[in-house]
Amino acid sequence: MFRHTPLRYATLVLLASVALFRVFTAEYFGLEILTEIFILAVLVLALDMVAGFGGMVSLCHGALMGVGAYAYVMLSTIAGIAPPVAMAGAIAITGVAAWVIGAICARSHGIYFIMATLAFGQMAYSYVFEAPIFGGDDGLGGISRLDLSFVGIDLSDSRSFAFFCLAILAAVYGAAVLILRSGLGRSLSGVMHNEQRMRALGLTVWRVKADVFGLSGMIAGLAGVLAAQHIMYISPGLLSWTVSGEALVVVILGGVGTLIGPLVGAVAFVMLKHELSAVTTYWHLVVGCILIAVVMSRANGIFGWLEDRWGARIDRRAADATRNQKTEEVASDA
Amino acid sequence: MLETRNLDKSFGAVHVTRDVSLKLERGERRVILGPNGAGKTTLFNQLVGELASDKGSVHLAGEDVTALAVAKRARRGLSRSYQKNTLFDGLTVEENLGLAASIHTGHATTLWSDSLAKPEVREIVQDVANQVNLMPFLHANVSEISYGVRRQLEVGVALATRPLVLLMDEPTSGVGPEMAKGFHDLLNNLPRDLTLLIIEHDMDLAFDVADTITVLNYGEVVFDGLPQEARGSSLLKEIYLGSWEDA
Repeated sequence: MFRHTPLRYATLVLLASVALFRVFTAEYFGLEILTEIFILAVLVLALDMVAGFGGMVSLCHGALMGVGAYAYVMLSTIAGIAPPVAMAGAIAITGVAAWVIGAICARSHGIYFIMATLAFGQMAYSYVFEAPIFGGDDGLGGISRLDLSFVGIDLSDSRSFAFFCLAILAAVYGAAVLILRSGLGRSLSGVMHNEQRMRALGLTVWRVKADVFGLSGMIAGLAGVLAAQHIMYISPGLLSWTVSGEALVVVILGGVGTLIGPLVGAVAFVMLKHELSAVTTYWHLVVGCILIAVVMSRANGIFGWLEDRWGARIDRRAADATRNQKTEEVASDA
Repeated sequence: MLETRNLDKSFGAVHVTRDVSLKLERGERRVILGPNGAGKTTLFNQLVGELASDKGSVHLAGEDVTALAVAKRARRGLSRSYQKNTLFDGLTVEENLGLAASIHTGHATTLWSDSLAKPEVREIVQDVANQVNLMPFLHANVSEISYGVRRQLEVGVALATRPLVLLMDEPTSGVGPEMAKGFHDLLNNLPRDLTLLIIEHDMDLAFDVADTITVLNYGEVVFDGLPQEARGSSLLKEIYLGSWEDA
């Protein structure tokens, strides 16, 4: 069950403030990196919903992101549908695809669930890679961004697009919180804690898993639409399992099942990638070492480590307060 | 209200339940006795559908539910508690009860609104918390409450689905004599129209709450009758009660 704590609120405010500040002050390359962070953050929020709150560790969220991107391009560029409608259509298509995957995989657990989602992801990747209609290995270009000129926003401008992605990220975060606090979210939490008992109480477990996986897929599809509009070009690589793997690394790096942790993870991952790749082509090695250190530290990612430290400090203060109170009582009795 | 006809279950060469036929009327409180390995828990698993029977049928309120999955049987009013606590650790007592109540009220899959905030869910949570004496612990995390209180919650979670028939697998398992006495009152205070089927080793509790007693031995029903008949049964003394009366 997701709960906001003072530390989570504080981190959220800090992240939002820094993001807003950077959107208004960054230059072109800085804005590109910010947009990359925001889009990755949308994807990892989707993944954390199912992995962190439902125990469904998915290795097909990269593919779902790709499905969203390709669906948007096919609808807007090939079918000539207006971009806002194409965007909604792409999100819906990805949601349906994710629901079907969720419904099929819901009966498996642990490593089998991971492998089943990986298989779905690779099937999607192979199909898009081979099918001429999707441009094969060459991918598809000529992608248009949303036209928000009627409200005076030009999304072809990098700053406006970065701000647009940040607004979408904020909306997705709010939606994720609402979903996790809803009846469906509570049931998902119950299923993760004790699936057998939830079934014995009368819950159709696979349906709850499929519904949340479908909602998560819609968010992943939205990330895909944003990615397509950002780069204005898409290729099958977007559906590769490595994209899913990277998203999972980001969630683990930040802190599984915290929602805010993955946001921190997205910032850390993209920053590390850009800073380290400027120094060495072997930047993955460094990220790998950091991930191993995080996992071996037994903390729940960077944010989990912060929460542990914060929680320990609160516990210490409470113990000190109790001890002081007892000392005062003894003194007054004497 | 609940009827089984010739239920059978084997695991390889081991015949765990044999030809078990029971019939419970509405509001009846039946205790199942039997030594360890008699097939009591297996029978429960067959009744709720967690274990498929090799043959025989289960009928709930006149409907054959043998082919129904666990969740469907539960939604029709067949609820159970477990011998080992199967609670939602990490959640509060209120949230534990709320999960069960939200399934019963159909709010378990609502989107955008909190099921625990729904008046009908809150009403069930309050009602059940009162019934099983959990009001003082409502906002405590499951990890913070004692084992005995967890046993109460185990029953409470099953009750929060508002079942027609409640199966309780050793509700007093592992609790002290004082707490067990509390369970007598708890069970006696449950609504009289609720049908109870209880597996219990505590003889005092069994004879206190039972309208009827069934004894299983090697998976077979060897006794089915009133508590006073059970007390006088020489067969029972031989297979089960001897050690109790000697004690």
